[in-house]
Amino acid sequence: MAEVRKRRGRIQIHLDADERAALVMIVEQLAPSLGQVRLTLPVAYDDPEFQAEYDRWVRPEIERSREADLDVIRDCIGSGEDVTVLTEEQALAWARGLNLLRITAGGIMGVEEDGWEQQASAALRGSSEFRVLLALGLIQEELIAVLEG
Amino acid sequence: MAPSTAQPPAPAETPIEVPGGGEHTVRDPGWEVLVWNDPITLMSYVVLVFRRLFGYDFETATKLMLQVHHEGKAVVATQPREQAEVSVSRLHGFGLQATMGRR
Repeated sequence: MAEVRKRRGRIQIHLDADERAALVMIVEQLAPSLGQVRLTLPVAYDDPEFQAEYDRWVRPEIERSREADLDVIRDCIGSGEDVTVLTEEQALAWARGLNLLRITAGGIMGVEEDGWEQQASAALRGSSEFRVLLALGLIQEELIAVLEG
Repeated sequence: MAPSTAQPPAPAETPIEVPGGGEHTVRDPGWEVLVWNDPITLMSYVVLVFRRLFGYDFETATKLMLQVHHEGKAVVATQPREQAEVSVSRLHGFGLQATMGRR
């Protein structure tokens, strides 16, 4: 099972071939939906004029940084290695990228309220998006524990 | 805003030119940076983001995260507009729901 450890100050992420293949599929399936799910839209202002300026000048940089985070994940899972050593910045990029993927999967599922894990119907629990949300959440929790530790 | 041990950055004092010459210093009341609840993002991740972006200690970051979770939103900083916009854009980069508004 995917695991994140810190040994001698080095962050290591362990993913076997099946887990890497699953992550490749998840990233490529969800990437086209980034920016289309409401929660992924960077809305800073109530004022439409201020927001238009924000969209013009700031949003492109946010989108570039999000894509760069996903590239860090792609590079890691495309390395063909079961164990990859991450710098702290790369681990943060993983945490951000996984969060973005989870928000996107949740948006596709139509999650709008807290408690969705407990309230999910049997059909929803069986959906690929639901399993993706939980699996990515587990990896993200491990990354956070290492980054906070 | 929930009681916190860390003080948000103080509003800036901005020199402005006035008709007839001279310069007055006015107090910018600042812009509030708000973070909103979303049902997907992990609580531990929100704490991590608050600590990394604003330098809050674990206790303060956790209090703010719980305020977001229970009340739907929290003011995480009050800053001059440009600085607040940078904070909001960085929060957006981390995937959090963040907005800003005049104090």
